[in-house]
Amino acid sequence: MTSENPLAHSKHVFRAALLLLAVVVALILGRLFFVPETWGEYGFYRGAAVGEHRAEPVRFGGDEACEPCHDAEYAEHAAGVHAPVRCELCHGPVALHADLEEGEKLAEMPVRRGRELCELCHRAQAARPASFPQIDVREHVLENGGEVTPDACFDCHDPHSPY
Amino acid sequence: MKHRHSHPDQQPDGVSRREFLHRSSAALAGAVAIVLILPEGSAAGISGAEYDWDRHTWVYVIDTTKCIGCGSCVSACRAENSVPEGMYRTWVERYEIPVTGEAFIDSPDGGEHGFDPVTSGMNVGKGFFVPKMCNHCRATPCTQVCPVGASFTTRDGVVLVDAEHCIGCGYCVQACPFGSRFINPTTHTADKCTWCYHRITKGLTTACVEICPVGARQLGNRDDPDDPVNEILATRRVQVLQPELLTRPQCYYLGLDMEVR
Ligand code: HEC
Ligand code: HEC
Ligand code: HEC
Ligand code: HEC
Repeated sequence: MTSENPLAHSKHVFRAALLLLAVVVALILGRLFFVPETWGEYGFYRGAAVGEHRAEPVRFGGDEACEPCHDAEYAEHAAGVHAPVRCELCHGPVALHADLEEGEKLAEMPVRRGRELCELCHRAQAARPASFPQIDVREHVLENGGEVTPDACFDCHDPHSPY
Repeated sequence: MKHRHSHPDQQPDGVSRREFLHRSSAALAGAVAIVLILPEGSAAGISGAEYDWDRHTWVYVIDTTKCIGCGSCVSACRAENSVPEGMYRTWVERYEIPVTGEAFIDSPDGGEHGFDPVTSGMNVGKGFFVPKMCNHCRATPCTQVCPVGASFTTRDGVVLVDAEHCIGCGYCVQACPFGSRFINPTTHTADKCTWCYHRITKGLTTACVEICPVGARQLGNRDDPDDPVNEILATRRVQVLQPELLTRPQCYYLGLDMEVR
């Protein structure tokens, strides 16, 4: 074999180059099509997802959120043994009840006037820490001269400040 | 290998076939690298005056000796995060272990409506409640198995799901050894505890920590030396769930018992 024309076999090279080009173009197009915007911004995931999570609405506002509109309940509650029990635990999240920016009521706040509410925490149970105040409901009510009714606890205890 | 005899490597134009293949594959690899790497800019991340995720590493501490099993965390989580009924991002388990015999373990409605006293007349030696949730593991199998990269760990240590990108295949649900994930029946995508990412990046704590009446739950920042959580981790004996799996959970438990899995 003698080499007369150096370009005689260049066809292979062009074909291979063309193939390479096609692969690269397909890759770029595929990437544009399949890979979402902000992909890889922070890591192997869609960066915008982080912001989307951060943008979820906040619903629980803490006791302080109630104070501007219910200062009497707030003060009574903060001074009593139920201070560690959040208003929103017994009632519900503030965001569903009041517009904090406009300062107005949006919807009824649930009021759970029933002994099941108190029993959630205070009914005696083997699994509860022994140091937590808990009662045998029947025994406790009768012992104190009360009547076992669905809202018995409220005859003697104020939920905001039980003593 | 046979080719070597029938077709000499040396081609008339002076470039060996092997060399050509080498060069072209290098060029291809280069092109791929450019295409794949270029758009991955060195973005600064979620930082600014109000929140900098490079200065936060979130961890969670659960004190089972304090939990009274009221289930308020479960309903608060549902209300804060619109978790569909029957699904749980957090739940509470009750353990009652008799002096002799089998342990009694239950979690009716995830503990959301509290627990009726066990009436079996069992001679309980020890009893306690164990709140559970996503452990936001450092070496988590759930993000590794995601075929589309819809599950990831943020720079501040929170494992999140990209609901936009998730295809709902459920591999991550299977991969989680703690049962912390589920397929959301409304969105048909994977769902899980986010440590209330929308709250903790605004200076608030999670809804479950906020609502707990006995301080059994705490979220803290590992990067802040003054955070009370660091005092606990430094001075108390803590345990994680299923440490043998080496997923490096970031929920640390106080007073955990060997019965708890
Ligand atoms: C332990 C549970 C509990 C906590 C904590 C609690 N509440 Fe209440 N709240 C109740 C119950 C139960 C009633 C209904 C009492 C009744 O009818 O006697 C009530 C009644 C009210 C009412 C009056 C509703 C009416 O029409 O009479 C307001 C207002 C209120 N709560 C606000 C608050 C605020 C503000 C806080 C926190 C500072 C708070 N509550 C904390 C259980 C609670
Ligand atoms: C922007 C003001 C505002 C805020 C904030 C607010 N409330 Fe109210 N709330 C009202 C108004 C107005 C009423 C109507 C009853 C009244 O006249 O007091 C009301 C009524 C209630 C009632 C009685 C049931 C009802 O819906 O009428 C409860 C219980 C209650 N609020 C609890 C709370 C708790 C708990 C918080 C904090 C988590 C809170 N509220 C925050 C304005 C507010
Ligand atoms: C979410 C849990 C929870 C609910 C619901 C709840 N409490 Fe309490 N209660 C507590 C906590 C926490 C304390 C403080 C316990 C302590 O100091 O160790 C407490 C304290 C008390 C005390 C004083 C006990 C003592 O010895 O110091 C009484 C009485 C009481 N609650 C009654 C009630 C009544 C009545 C209701 C229903 C209206 C109720 N509680 C609802 C959590 C709850
Ligand atoms: C007839 C009045 C009366 C009724 C009804 C009543 N209590 Fe009491 N409760 C008391 C008195 C008085 C005390 C303080 C003395 C004591 O510990 O018995 C008390 C104490 C408590 C304590 C603290 C116990 C401890 O060991 O520290 C709890 C918790 C409690 N009550 C919850 C309730 C709940 C929940 C209900 C509703 C099922 C209820 N009470 C109904 C009068 C009553």
